This record gives sequence, structure tokens and C-alpha cells, in this order.
Amino acid sequence: MSLRALWIIYNEKGENASIRFSRRFCTVEHRAKSLAGSSYVAVPEDSSFLQLLLTELGLSGSHKSYVAARDDCLYRPRSPAVELRLDGKGTLWPVLALSQAPLILACLPLVDIPSEPRPPLANLLSVSQGLTFLAGLQTFLLGSAGNLDSEGLVSRMATLPSLLLQVCPLGTLLDTPQAVTPTAPTVPTSAGAQKQPAWKTGLHRGRATVNVAVVETVRSMQYGSPTRQDLWDVYGTVTCKCEVEGVLPNVTVTLSLPHNGSPLQDILVHPCVTSLDSSILTASSVDNADGSAFSGPYKFPFSPPLEPFRLCSYTSQVPVPPILGSYQLKEEENNLRLSVSLKLHESVKNSFEYCAAHLPFFNRNQMGVVDVKVSSGQLDVSKEKNLLVWVLGQKFPKSHEVTLDGKITFSGSSQGPSDPLCTGLTAYIKLYLKVPDTTLSGCFVDQHSVQVYSSAKPRIITSRELLSKEYYIWNSTGPAPVSSGQMMI
Amino acid sequence: MAPNWTERISAFCRSPSGFLSGTNPEAFLSELLRELRDDRASYGVKVLLLSPLCEYAGLLCATGCAGEETALDLMSVFAQCPTRWAQFRCHLLVALTGVLVCSSCASGRSRASLDFLDLLLQIAQDAGDLHGDGAQRCLRATACDCLREMEASCPGLLSQRLELLAGLRQQESCRLHQAYVGLQVLVLRNAVYQLTQEAGAGAAHLKALLGGNTSAWEAEQEAEQEASQADGGDSAVQSSLVLGPMGRVPSLHTGPDCKELRSVLSSLLEESYLLTPLCQAALFHRLIELVAMVPGIPPSILRAQLLRLLGTNEVCLLHVTLLMKCAFTDSLFSAEDEAFLLKRLVVLSQHPLLSAPDKLFYMDCILHFPENRPIGCGDSDEALPVLLTPQLASALLPTVFNDSATLLARLNLQALVYLEEEGEEEGEEEGRGLAYIYEHLTALLHIVEGGGSRDIVVTFFRAAYLFLSYFHRVEQYSALLSQQLCRLYLLHTQLAPNILNLVQQTLHSLAGCSWAVGLLRGLQGAITEAPLDQLTLPDLSCHLRVLARVAEEAKISQRSSLGFLSAVVTRSSLRASGDWRLGNGVLGVCRRLLLHPSLDSLLIPLADILLHLACNYGDTDIQDHARLYYALLTTVSWEKLSAVLAQSAAEGGGQVKRPTLSGVMAESEGLVHTLSVHRAETAVFQLSEARPQPQPQTGGPPLAQDEGGGALEAYRAQFREAGSAPQITLQYRLTHTEPPHPRFEQLFSIRLHFSLTDQNYEQLQDVSVPCLFTQRPAPVLRLTLTPRQPYPTTIHVSAVFTSSDGLTWHAPVPDIHVSFQHTFLPLPVPPAWSRARREELFQELWEEMCGEASGCAVSLFCCQLGGAALKALLQEHFLPFLLSHPSQEDGFWVLLFLPPRSHLLLKISCEEDAVQFNMATDNWQLLPHINAYLLRITCAQDLPVT
Repeated sequence: MSLRALWIIYNEKGENASIRFSRRFCTVEHRAKSLAGSSYVAVPEDSSFLQLLLTELGLSGSHKSYVAARDDCLYRPRSPAVELRLDGKGTLWPVLALSQAPLILACLPLVDIPSEPRPPLANLLSVSQGLTFLAGLQTFLLGSAGNLDSEGLVSRMATLPSLLLQVCPLGTLLDTPQAVTPTAPTVPTSAGAQKQPAWKTGLHRGRATVNVAVVETVRSMQYGSPTRQDLWDVYGTVTCKCEVEGVLPNVTVTLSLPHNGSPLQDILVHPCVTSLDSSILTASSVDNADGSAFSGPYKFPFSPPLEPFRLCSYTSQVPVPPILGSYQLKEEENNLRLSVSLKLHESVKNSFEYCAAHLPFFNRNQMGVVDVKVSSGQLDVSKEKNLLVWVLGQKFPKSHEVTLDGKITFSGSSQGPSDPLCTGLTAYIKLYLKVPDTTLSGCFVDQHSVQVYSSAKPRIITSRELLSKEYYIWNSTGPAPVSSGQMMI
Repeated sequence: MAPNWTERISAFCRSPSGFLSGTNPEAFLSELLRELRDDRASYGVKVLLLSPLCEYAGLLCATGCAGEETALDLMSVFAQCPTRWAQFRCHLLVALTGVLVCSSCASGRSRASLDFLDLLLQIAQDAGDLHGDGAQRCLRATACDCLREMEASCPGLLSQRLELLAGLRQQESCRLHQAYVGLQVLVLRNAVYQLTQEAGAGAAHLKALLGGNTSAWEAEQEAEQEASQADGGDSAVQSSLVLGPMGRVPSLHTGPDCKELRSVLSSLLEESYLLTPLCQAALFHRLIELVAMVPGIPPSILRAQLLRLLGTNEVCLLHVTLLMKCAFTDSLFSAEDEAFLLKRLVVLSQHPLLSAPDKLFYMDCILHFPENRPIGCGDSDEALPVLLTPQLASALLPTVFNDSATLLARLNLQALVYLEEEGEEEGEEEGRGLAYIYEHLTALLHIVEGGGSRDIVVTFFRAAYLFLSYFHRVEQYSALLSQQLCRLYLLHTQLAPNILNLVQQTLHSLAGCSWAVGLLRGLQGAITEAPLDQLTLPDLSCHLRVLARVAEEAKISQRSSLGFLSAVVTRSSLRASGDWRLGNGVLGVCRRLLLHPSLDSLLIPLADILLHLACNYGDTDIQDHARLYYALLTTVSWEKLSAVLAQSAAEGGGQVKRPTLSGVMAESEGLVHTLSVHRAETAVFQLSEARPQPQPQTGGPPLAQDEGGGALEAYRAQFREAGSAPQITLQYRLTHTEPPHPRFEQLFSIRLHFSLTDQNYEQLQDVSVPCLFTQRPAPVLRLTLTPRQPYPTTIHVSAVFTSSDGLTWHAPVPDIHVSFQHTFLPLPVPPAWSRARREELFQELWEEMCGEASGCAVSLFCCQLGGAALKALLQEHFLPFLLSHPSQEDGFWVLLFLPPRSHLLLKISCEEDAVQFNMATDNWQLLPHINAYLLRITCAQDLPVT
């Protein structure tokens, strides 16, 4: 349940990868040696480790189309735990690696069960711990938003040695690195009082505030084809920020559904939730759900950490997608004829923060003449990117339906963007939308249902919103790049 | 001029072996320790200085003595460090733990390690920071983790302190209680494990253990402990005890009466919620082990936590739940729970909010699902749980939007699902599943056709291999795949290596599968039927590569290939260009055709092609080779031809070919095998040190006549006239490694090459040994080293030799180590010098070294040694260097000459019960080495006191 070594690799655009930080844990290595006996494989030095890992991840020799050691079809890298084949000195396993540009984080967990024959990953607790740790480290170094802040990265890297002293001084993982480690403004507590949770870095002083936000995301694949079923799904997250006094304050948040709402499924909760009712967990998206399933209210009693956190997440099977689209392309002599219609479902609130449809065209010359009319909204044409952006604004018209018709010639002299997926009539529209103060599943948090067991009356703020992600409407006159039958995204 | 430590430390950590080749571990260690003691160095630098010790303690303190010494030094640094440098003090504790564990001092319960344990316990108990001193708290947390690590490395180390640790955990109310929980539960687990190993241990022992009342059986237990350590029992204790239903966990029979343990476990479980997820997972893991070892505690004690764990979004907490299931199966999880857990895993394997690595891990957990009633007992094989129905698995169908690892993992899972189905019923369901998988493969193929990235190409071929490995018998699909691959190849000829790799792997691992031959036949057809005039040069060379592979298949008719070759060589544009690579490609195909069983029927067209090449091709080299082949073809019978060339063909069937320089010429591959040097992966023989024979005076300054006058002056005069540098000679025996490989039993013309790892010695000449047979006595070889600095070193050795089958091999030979004492030489003075004259020289040198001369230093080493032991020591180690008479009582003078021109003088005397080694040297850098050497040789006799 410990790590033998940890590496942070900087690999910008796949070139000049270098190890920016590495740490070996000699006492764990000592144990690894005695546990593995004759099958012990020592950790290679940084430079050879880097080469081996890059080969394993398929990142080495990017200018060569085929390298036997990297591309052999027999070999299936068992991500997230890969093996490094050392030249004649055995195999280093399991190396966990997590990539998020520009970093690759890797660690080597200790195998504390006999290593011959190779045990399954599922029997090694250190593997899941390593994954948790690396994911935490990744969030610490790169942030969760995904936009890179290079200066911040450098300064956070500099704090690693002292940070590791707290979270993993000797290779045994104690905690994930936290973005802020204030020098504990803790209040002296008298002996025998409630113990402070180890995951709570300090105590809040002041007015109690609880902020609960429900964000739902809808994904869809619409084919407009009689033989192919359209698919959509919805998942939601409930994020909390609680400023409540006390060492271990009790808060309860209750999620409710409208009268005929379909049950929330696949509920996952944050470890700070103190107890769960088994009925909350039973509904599952992979089950044939029966009508009698529990449909709330869903109570989550917990003691909050100081920082914002994701209290729970769920999925939901809503009967209809928010926007049903149809997309038809026709290749004519010199041009491409388009016909699009989008229909907003009446149950969805017609008040968007934004709503836009992107129509990219790949593997063609650059656009020449664009002769396209829209019934509502406005159209932006980006000829360099071969992209039409149809901005639908804040509202659909009364009819709840909008259309786009016209034709495009691709008469430009230079080649537009290419994509191996979207050849010929395989093309899509991608929708981007955000609707404040609504959810598709109808799930909501009633302000009055948030209970805080403390003396002062807390301020409670709740919010909801609906977002789209991977919302595709495929051209129904061309082959969609997915196989038939049931498909999960 | 302080050395730039930041740079040096980072150079060390980047490559310790490279760094130490320029110095040696002892010297580097002593430099580090000196700098750590230096008051002028800043604490920022000192933290940095500790990092080599934290990360590579095993390398720097290889022996118990070195570890003990270093630990004592570090503890004194700790004692002197002001408390405000908390970070540094924490790092010091970490370094100390590393040093003591890695040098095996901790497992040997050495004095320093016991002192260190006391120090750690003292820090851990020091709750003086109640009023919020963060620094002190940080130190306490580190101390707890050090204690935990010491216990993890030396199980049982703290088992006598259980009661104390339990008390500390209960008292602590700030975040630190987590550290105490981790410590207590580990110590408890190890202590219970030890009890299980003791015959007759039961409830009473357990109770005593928890109550801290262990004196009654302490002695007995310690003796057992030592015995178990002696036979390396440590690793069994350290291994995880979470085993499946097939594993055997040692158990402690307490009967139902183990209230005390139960109450400890309950209170730990109650507090589990307060720990970070990582520590919670570790705690549960230890608790599972404990409950598994003590049958008196029912697994249901864990039930209260289950719901919380099953709903979690933390991968390590769900994982530990699976481990619980693995350990306790139906005594904790009902059939309903099992079905729920599996469904949960399927949900998690495709949950939109989880990261790809987590999802892949969950998928792996599905394939190794700990079932309550497992059917198979294969522990490491992937197997589908019985409850995973195709309907349930359909949630994990691959799509083209998956990343490649996910895609392949899902494909593998689906293949397993439908493979199982195939065996059970020939229903419509099965057909649909397989059809879906194939359709998916086709979708990937279309992306590759559309110009997918390298990643997609590789993924597609892996998916194709996976598909074939499960379903190659399903004719309908495998034939279709073959056709589609041929079409793909014509569109993208640069995929030739991928396709050939797929051919090779299916041939190799799917015995009795004719698919690959079929594909090759299809490729041959596709290539030879396509119109020739649209081909570009790169296309053509890919085609030739494929045809060369096709020509290796005896079952494929080669007529059409020949037709294609003929068309290629007669095409005027190509012929005139005389491209060497192209010609070489054509010759490559021809060479394989020469080996083809149907050569007789190919004779005339092949001869035509070769003749055409020989006469008309625009490159002389190609012409020459074509002429050679033509001559072989027309004059040598097929049997002889294949005998000449067969060896290489057999090689071609193996794995990935190793690129050799001479292999660039494809058509000469037949000769490559015998001409190239083969690489042996492991050592074939080794050099072991031969017993030193009476050392003749080798080299050294010429022995001038003694001309009287001052002994020192006369002595020095020799060096002025010295021609060659003094040398040391070491003898080694060359022996086979055990067990000898049958192929290498008789070796000839062995040439040993030595490469130095540092600058301290002159380069070594290669050494030749005529032969080495397992049956005959081992040859002895002498290695003459010319030191530039008399330091220990490691020499890399490699060898080139010929095996009895005539092949030439290159093999590594285990490193040889030149230790410090190897460099000792007796005083190089004329043999005529009398004892008195030598003593005079000793005295003069001693006085000079005690003076101010640069580089000189004196030092003192003491140890407890009886008179007899000292005599034995002198006899064994210093006899050739002894100046004074061995029977002399008051003291002994030893003079070590270390080439090229360093001296080390020892005055050894007995003082009461200790022996003093007074040292003087003209090269202070030798001090750490001599110190280590004395420690080692005196350690063997008794414990040293320095």
C-alpha cells in the first residue's frame, strides 16, 4: 500500500519529454526487495525509465510510423497499469501513468502479494490508492479547469518536496495533495471533544452559509434514421460549498424529483457523506428498471469539508432529448445542399444563456460561396475553419422550431481541416447550450430542505443549470461512424 | 569554494550510478555528513543534502556498520538542530528511517535503531503542541509515519508498545489522530500475525498483548522472532493477507472470547470516517487482515461501514470493499449484495464523471471479480463473472469515440462475453453480439482508411488481433476481414509493417490457424493484379516487402509474384534509375524464392529476372548480387541451396528481428547469422577472485641501491628515478555461471574487455583466454591495475567468444569489484633494507604527516578488542605490511603503501580494554576508506567504539 517511486514528466506536444521531478522511497524499495525475492526488479534510473515509459505509452519516436517495440499488435497496454520491459532485466510492473497535457504523472506501487505468477491488479490495493493519489496530484498541479497556467505550475512544482513530506513522506500514501494547505487556523479543542477529521484542514468561523448547485449535463447522438435508435443521456452533479462552524457539523441536503420524475440512478457520493439509505443506491442505469423504484426524496447527511466538493452525482433516463434535430446533406454537382431543423421540446424551459449549433465540414477544399438562410438566430461563417456557427440566442421562436437551408460550394484553392472520421457524407452538427435554473430530470434542492444543525440560522443558496456535452446530430443521408444496435456514449 | 550542492545533488539523483562512478559512496556520504554538521550551511541546503539519504539510503549505507555510523551522526545533527527548523527536522527523521531500514540496522535491532525508536516515541508522545504549534505537530506526524514505516519494514518491532500507541490515538483529537490510527492498526496486525505463528497462542496471549502485559512471554517471543528473521520470514509477514477463498490465512484460535480486540476494532471502525480516503482504505485493508486472522471476530463487524463504502465515488474505497468481498465472500456479502456490487462495477466502468484510468481499473475488477462461489480457480486469468450477462455487458460496448485503451479493454470484455455465449447456445443473440463486434472493427477500419492517426492505426491492428485471437474460427468474419485488409493495404501501402506484424503474430500464437496464410495469398493477389504504372517508388518497396514475406510461405504459389517482379525489372524507368533500395527489395524476394520448395517450377522465370538484373540494372552492387544468385541458382542443387540459406529462414520465423548493421542488406541475411555477433542476454561465465598468492613485487619504483643517508630521502629518491608507475595485480578464476547453458559448455577464443567506471585507474588491456570448458580446471588470469588514485572501484566486463557451433557471441560478465584493501602494497624499498632502516623511514614519514604538509591528516580509530583477537587481526590482514615485530607487546607499526604514491601509517596499541589505531596519511581522502575498512574487519571481531 505504498509507492516505490514517483515521477512527474513534462511532455509538451510530444517533444523533448523530460523528467521534472522524481522521488524514490528507499524503505519501500527495501520491502519490495524482500517481498519479491528472486523476482525483484530494481527501479531503473530516470533517463531509461523515461524512454521505456514513452515507448510503452506510444509516445516515443513520433516521426516513425511503425516501431516494433512500440506498435506490436500482440501487445495490449493494460492501461492504467503498464509494464516496462527492461532490457534483459525483467519487467517493471505495475507502473501507473496518468497523462494530461503537458504532464505525465507516473508511480510504481508496491506489490505486497507474491508477484509470480503476476497477480491481477484488482488484488493490489496500492494500485487504486496510486490512482487516487495521481489524480489528486494532477488536480493540484494543473487545476481541474483544464486551462494551463505555466507559472503556477512551476511554483506548485517547487512546493512538492514539502508537500510530499505531509502527504507521502515515506512512500505510504496518507492524503492527496491539497491546493491550499493553510497553516491550520485551528481552535484549541479541549480533550475528549469531537475529533477533527483528517480531511478537514481547519475550522470555519463566522456566519454559516451553504451553497448547493445542481448541474445537469445532457449528451446525445441523433441519427434521424429509422434503423438506428437515437440516444441521449443525462447526468448530474451536486456541488456544495459549506461554511459552517464546528469540528464536525452535521448538514443534510435533500434532492427531490417532481411528481412523476424518473428515479435518479447510479448515485455516487463523496466520502464525507456519513450514512446512506440502501434504497438510494438501488436504481441503476444498467438494470431493467421497474416502475416501483424508489424515487426520492434523496437524503444526504454529511459533515462538510472546508473546500467546495462534489456531494454526489447521478444519472437519469429522461424520456426525450431537449432538442430534437434533423440534418440532411445532399452532394450536388458543385455544391453541398444543407437542410437542418431543430425542435425544442415543449417541456424544456425556453430561456437559454446560450445556444449554438456548429456545423463543421472536413476533408474538403475551403468554402467558397455560402448561400444559407436561417429561420431564426444568426449565422457566422468561418471559411478558414470550414465551419458554420449558427447562434440561436436566448430563445427559440414560438413554434419551438428553427430551420437552416442552403448550399455551400467548396471552391477554395487550399484544403480545409481534415478528420479521419468525417469523410464523404459522414458529417455532424454539434450543439452547445446552457439553460439556467432548470434540470432535465426535474431534480432540485429545496432551500428549506437543507438542514444545518447549528445554533445560528444559516444562509442557504441553491441553483440549477443544464449544459450540453457531446450533443451530436448526424447527417441522416450518410453513414454515421458508429455501429448499429445499442450504443452507450 | 563550497561545491554547488544543488547541482551535485540533482546530478546524483538523476543518475546515482553515473555520479558515483566519479567518486564513491563512502566519500560522498562523508561529504554529505560533514556539510550537514557544518553550522555555516543554510537549512534550505541541508534539506537538499538529505535527499540522497532519503532516496538512496541503501546505496550510500550498504553495510550495517555504515548505517549505524551514519544514523548516529544524523541523530547528533537532530539533537543540535534548533526546534524552529521543523521542516529540516522532519526530513532528518525520514532520512534516519531510510538509513536504519536499508542498512538492516533496524531489523537487527542495532543500538542506533533502538535509540532512534526511543526518540520517535518520545516525539510521538510529546503533546506539548496542544495550543496549536503547527511546526511541532508536523514533526509529530512525521515521527508517527517513521514509526509506522519502521514497523512495516521490521514487523513486530513495536508489538510491545501496543497499549501505549492505543492510548496515544485515543487522546489525540486534532487531525493527527489519523497518523496514530495507521500506526496502531499496523502494529496490531503484525503482533496478531506473530501470535498466529506461535504454537499454543490463544485468547490469553491476545489479551495480554492488548493490555501491554507481555513480559511473561516476551523472551520466548523474541527468540522466535529472531529465528524467523534468520530464515527470512520477514517477507511472509509483510505480504498482504487478503487472499481469495482459495488462499490460506494463518489463524489465531481464541474462541469466541476476544472482547478486547473486538472493542479496539470497533473503535477504529467508528473513527474510520474521519480519515482521508487513502488512509481509510489502508485501515480497512489492515482490518480485513485482522478479522481474517482471528476467527473469533465475525466479519459482520465490518457491515456497518458497507453502505457508505458501496456508494462512494473514491476508487480506493470501493476497491477495498471488493477486497473485503474477496476475503469474506458470503460470510459478509449475500448473493443479492454480490449482484449489486457487480452492477455497480459495470456502472462505474462507464460512468461519465469518472476518469479513464479509474474506469479501466473497474473494468479490470470485473474480469477478476471476487465471486462468492468461483467456478474456476485460476487466480490471475481473466474470467467473466457468472452474473455478467450479455445484457449487462452491453453497457460496455466499445465505440469509436473511446480512447484506445478503453476501446481495446471493452472489445476484450465483449469478446469474452460472446465467446462464452458461443459455447452455450447457437442463438440469435450470439450472432448479434459477434456482428456488433465485427461492425465495430469495420468502423475502425474506415477511420484508418480515412487517414487516421498512428494511434488509431495501432489500435485498429490490436483490435484486429484481439478479434482474430477469439474468433478466427468464424469463417464468415475472418474471410471478410482478410478482404478488407487487402483493400486497406492497397489504399495505404505504408501499413505494410503493421499488416506483416499481424500476420506474424497470428501465425505464431494461433496454432492451426490458416487465416494468416490466406491473408498473405490475398495480398499477393492484390499486389500482382493492380496496374503497375501507377505505382510510386515507396509503394513498390512496400509491395516488395510483402512479397518477400509471401515467398516464405511454402503453401503459396509464387507464379504471380514472379510475374510481378519480372514486370518491375523490365520497366525501363525503374531499371534506369538504378535505385539501390529497390534493387535490394527485388533481390530480397528472389533470395526467398531460392528457398521455396516449388523452386523447380520457378527456375526459368527466376533465372530470367536475375539475369536481367545482373545485366541491366543501374547499380553495380545489385548487379553483382544478382549475378551471385544467378550462379547459385543455376549451378547448385536446391538441397544444397537450402542448406546454405536455411539457417536464416528459420530465424526469420521468430519474433521481431534485431536490426544488425549487416542486416540492412536484405539479400545478405543468410550470411548475417554466421557473420554477426550474437548477443547473450545473461552472463555465461564470471570472474571470481582467486586466492592471493604471495605477492611478488610488481612494478613500483626500481629498487635502487641503498646509499645511506636519511631513510626518507633515500626512499623518495627512488620515486624520482621511477620509470613505470606502481601497479597492483589481482588474480581471477574464470568459471561458468551455474547452471551452464548446454550451448556454452565449450568456449573458445575468449576475449575479455574491461571498462572502468571512474577515473581512478588507467585503462586496462583486453585479456585473451584460449578456451573454457566446464570439464577442465578454471583458467586463472592476472589483471594488472595501474591506480591513479587508490580508491575502490567497480570494473565492467564484457566478453566476445566463440561457441562450439561456430557462432560468435558477445556476453556481459558480472562486474568485478576492486576493494580498498586490494590496493595495499608493502613498502617499496630494496629488500636489503634492514628492519631498523624501515622503522626509521616509518618514523620520518609519521613526523612529516603529523606536520602541516598539505593533504596530510591524522586520525584515531578505537575499538574493543582483546589481545588475542588483535593478534589474529594483524595476522590475517596486516602481516605483509607490518614493520615492527609481531611479538612486540607495546604497539605495532603498519605501513600501507597505496600506489601511485600514497601512504597510510598505523600505530596500533592496546590501551586497557580498547585498541587504538593511530593513523597518519599523506592523502586525507583515504580516511573514510580506511575507517570503513577498519570498521569492517573489527566488526567481525567485536563491536567498535569510535
